[in-house]
Amino acid sequence: MFDLSSTVSKVVFGLLLALIGLFLFFPLYWLIISSVKSNAELYSIVPTPFPLAPTLTHFITALTTGKLPMYLVNSLIASGSSAALNTLLALYAGYSFAKYRFTGRQPVMLFMLSAQMFPFGLLLISIYPLMSEVGLLDTRPGLILSYIVFALPVSTYMLYSYFSQVPDELIEAARADGASDLRIFHTIVIPISIPPIVTVFLYSFMWSWNDLLYSMTLIVSDDKRTIGPGLLLTYLNEVNSDWGGAMAASLLASAPIVAAFLFLQRYFIQGVTAGAVK
Amino acid sequence: MARLELKQIRKSFGPVDVLKGIDLTVEDGEFTAFVGPSGCGKSTLLRLICGLDEISSGEMIIDGQVVNDVPPAKRGIAMVFQSYALYPHMSVADNMGYALKLAGTSKEEIRSRVEAAAKVLRISDYLKRKPRQLSGGQRQRVAIGRAIVREPQIFLFDEPLSNLDAALRVEMRIEIARMKERLGTTMIYVTHDQIEAMTLADKIVVLNAGKVEQIGSPLDLYNAPVNRFVAGFIGSPRMNFLAVHGGRHEGGRVRVNGGTVSLNTLPHDTPSEIGVRPEHLQLCAPGSSNALDGRIAMTEHLGSDTYAYVSLEGAEEMIVVRLEGERSIRQGEQVGVFVNPDAVHVFSADGRTLVSAKPMARNAA
Repeated sequence: MFDLSSTVSKVVFGLLLALIGLFLFFPLYWLIISSVKSNAELYSIVPTPFPLAPTLTHFITALTTGKLPMYLVNSLIASGSSAALNTLLALYAGYSFAKYRFTGRQPVMLFMLSAQMFPFGLLLISIYPLMSEVGLLDTRPGLILSYIVFALPVSTYMLYSYFSQVPDELIEAARADGASDLRIFHTIVIPISIPPIVTVFLYSFMWSWNDLLYSMTLIVSDDKRTIGPGLLLTYLNEVNSDWGGAMAASLLASAPIVAAFLFLQRYFIQGVTAGAVK
Repeated sequence: MARLELKQIRKSFGPVDVLKGIDLTVEDGEFTAFVGPSGCGKSTLLRLICGLDEISSGEMIIDGQVVNDVPPAKRGIAMVFQSYALYPHMSVADNMGYALKLAGTSKEEIRSRVEAAAKVLRISDYLKRKPRQLSGGQRQRVAIGRAIVREPQIFLFDEPLSNLDAALRVEMRIEIARMKERLGTTMIYVTHDQIEAMTLADKIVVLNAGKVEQIGSPLDLYNAPVNRFVAGFIGSPRMNFLAVHGGRHEGGRVRVNGGTVSLNTLPHDTPSEIGVRPEHLQLCAPGSSNALDGRIAMTEHLGSDTYAYVSLEGAEEMIVVRLEGERSIRQGEQVGVFVNPDAVHVFSADGRTLVSAKPMARNAA
């Protein structure tokens, strides 16, 4: 670790942190204050660092006049179900890779992880005709499936590393107690693996919530559109300059993720660091 | 209550033969200990008995029934693991009742059996706690309690005390001895600690490199080891071994480093080594008859005993003499080590015992 005993090092360290913080948080800060400024203040030539007369007009407009609520619900459906399905699949896959020895275990796992090495834009080129072939283009299941394609390898690997550390003796004790393999997994292994499961769920939820490219390409009907493309098409076009609305809508769009993190950060941190320190 | 028979049990992991044909009978209600150096196959054998691993060949019979393909839970066996293997998310009571719950036992029955076992093990106050809130000794009790509530026919213990500190180990050893008296169930106990084996077991099985070296009562193994391995493995400090010069005896006397030693019984084969336990040796004046001459290299004072390490003349090896009580012995002092002819074990070149010592008192002259 760093030695922070001298005053000079403390100051340097603090300045560096402040600099990083500025880069990270200034856009966020600007987003927040812009969302509560009136249009007049937003378009004034000299930008104001604090909102002079805070107002919630943009939020009310965004929620009542546009299609934002619909996009949010669509996103919630797509992200929620892909995250749930992905976590479920990764649970069983990760456990079988971790605790069972079968032919082809290593190659299959490597193969799965190799999917991660392609840029996801590239894979879209093959996913698109595939979805079109099976009639899943412009459908929610199609979008959900394509999200799982990306989240599953990493999720499986995360759970695999965690399950590998579950002591064999624990599983054997349960076997000697008369539990079947599935029962052991459901009543012993899963209950002690809540932090990594939450982590994997959040990871895949975030992945699909933040997606723009796939949703933009695979979904064309407005009624199934998710929040990313929804925001883009509503607020970013040639005739639009509703900055306040864009900022308010963006804030609303990031709210679910922020809320999830606030609630689950304890698990998330445990999940990420599990096994690193033991 | 059950009688366990093993017939030519073999176990291989790929090309490695871990167990090379084990024959063993454990009588009903008998406490049997498996001892042996690390990697001798003792834990593997226990896992086979439990049913956690499959037997490569051979037959395992419990009460006349072949159980090779019977799953662990149906064998009437309960195992206490070295790491305790308590389910961390369950309370102590749930840990102990898990097997019964799986077997479909009624809730009231589970509760009464768990409470009864907890009372015996003095963990009644902790039933609602999680394993991580318990000390090592308490966790050990819960692990044993989990086995007891199942009322198994055979208890298996896999080095159950090795994770405890020395004081607690002694306490739990006594606890297990009491449990053995009370339950009278067949028990099999794996340990690398020979004191545990000697004090607890009715019968000890000494394993080495996947084979049984000797089966017998603790004192049989101590007094009459069938070979050099068992002689060296049982007893602490270990037996002193001395190479016989010329590999022969002359009129019942063998020459070893430091002098000559008489034998009471003549070996029927060529003697290659003799062995004498440290507690059967005695210090005497240098140059005495039937004694080996040497110099005190170092001493260890244990209070109840004094270990004197003597380097023999013309040899690099040291022999240990275990003396009763506190002795003041100067380092470097010239001494004789009296060897009672009755205390001498004689081994052949391939390690077989040719002559066993007679059971005798300590430091008998």
